[in-house]
Amino acid sequence: MKAKLLQLLLTMSDSYISGQAISEQLGCSRTAIWKHIDALRKEGYKIEAVQNKGYRLVFTPNLLTDHSIQATLATERFGKKVIVRDEVTSTQELAHQFAQEGNEEGTIIVAEQQTAGKGRLGRKWYSPKGTGIWMSIILRPSLAIQEAPQLTLVAAVAVVRAIKNVTGIEASIKWPNDLLINDRKVAGILTEMQADPDRIQSIILGIGMNVLQEEVPEELEEIATSLWKEKGVQVDRTALLAEILKELEWFYDTFLQSGLQFIKPMWEAHARGMGERITARGVNETVTGTALGITDQGVLRILDDKGNEREVYSGDLDFFHTDR
Amino acid sequence: MKIQELRELIKLIDDSSIDEFKYEEGGAKVTMRKQVKGAEKQTVVEGVQTVTAAPTTPAAPVPQEERQVEQPTTELKPQNPIQEEPTHSSNEKGIKAITSPMVGTFYQAPSPDSAPYVQVGDHVQENSVVCIVEAMKLMNEIEAEVKGEIVEVLVENGQLVEYGQELFLVRTG
Repeated sequence: MKAKLLQLLLTMSDSYISGQAISEQLGCSRTAIWKHIDALRKEGYKIEAVQNKGYRLVFTPNLLTDHSIQATLATERFGKKVIVRDEVTSTQELAHQFAQEGNEEGTIIVAEQQTAGKGRLGRKWYSPKGTGIWMSIILRPSLAIQEAPQLTLVAAVAVVRAIKNVTGIEASIKWPNDLLINDRKVAGILTEMQADPDRIQSIILGIGMNVLQEEVPEELEEIATSLWKEKGVQVDRTALLAEILKELEWFYDTFLQSGLQFIKPMWEAHARGMGERITARGVNETVTGTALGITDQGVLRILDDKGNEREVYSGDLDFFHTDR
Repeated sequence: MKIQELRELIKLIDDSSIDEFKYEEGGAKVTMRKQVKGAEKQTVVEGVQTVTAAPTTPAAPVPQEERQVEQPTTELKPQNPIQEEPTHSSNEKGIKAITSPMVGTFYQAPSPDSAPYVQVGDHVQENSVVCIVEAMKLMNEIEAEVKGEIVEVLVENGQLVEYGQELFLVRTG
């Protein structure tokens, strides 16, 4: 109800809409509408009310709420169920719980703050309150288990497109899934899977993005950035989140239908360091050489210094020179 | 049949309970036979060439091309040091292997500072997480799928594991 009212106000924000028209469209009393308008105002929305004209939304706070997200979504399935929490240890953890309880594909878990944001292998993700998009989405693809890792690449392309659509910024992808602006990390993707030997139960796709940090901590300045820092404006997080879900749903469906074939060239077009000298640091081995691209399965191909073509499934990349 | 298809086939047969497999297409015949008692499995491609299937556990992240070497069957040798003196084998009665469902990096613990999920001597349930296999930052939590005691860890932390590769041996029952 609140989401529908907000959606109406958002679409009509350049004109007034009367209380009568709202109550007809939403099928509820004018008293109920007044109550919801009041609640939205308390959250920080500025809603003008003019006698004989009606209501008009003039200011939207940069908040992520279930109704703000639902009022903005343009997807078929992703985000139809939204769980927003003020503070969680990690959205990934919570999403695992919700997945185990049987929540359907497309359910998203969003938090304004993570006290123990999850990076890969327990690495922490810096996620102060109200500044980013910290989101996990439940997926239940019918895919062979060995094809599932390609989803990380699919998500990376979707998020790059969403950033471009909303801000105009061209982010680049650091294999397989970090997003960089001017070689500093702006977003990361983490995918966790639970599967039976022959069937995927659920995949929790986590996206962490720095949006509204005016500054990043000094020790991270060389390696991390935010959209505010790069663009100089406070990007509306709800609009960005809705765009991410829209792109993600489209790329996900395309991937399930036809594999990586259409997405691979888009991934490569945004990839950082291809054709250049790079180092891939794994747990037991480090491979240095020329990045040749990715295989049809998304595996990184490196021509090492002995002239052997190597296929890298895991590791962190280092680049030797930067565009700075 | 292309070498790539042949490889896939070998893997599939390797992971299956089939002991012998024959296939004919356009004059080329393929016969595969498993010697289930020994550590080696042998693959013969009649009339075309002779191929030795590598043991299911490659030692290091070597590109696939290098791993499977054509050589006469008389020179069959186990190629993996881990399997040279097996204290247990998944062919033994009461011993089951936990295998990897995908190619990726094996992690024995949730983070570098954490204790391993399981060690030799630990008892596991079907749904106990025993390790993570990661590829392209997709973390796959592997569950035991069997109930019993871990008697052997066959791979090292950080090692690249193949599809179907045995990771742990579990004594069941």
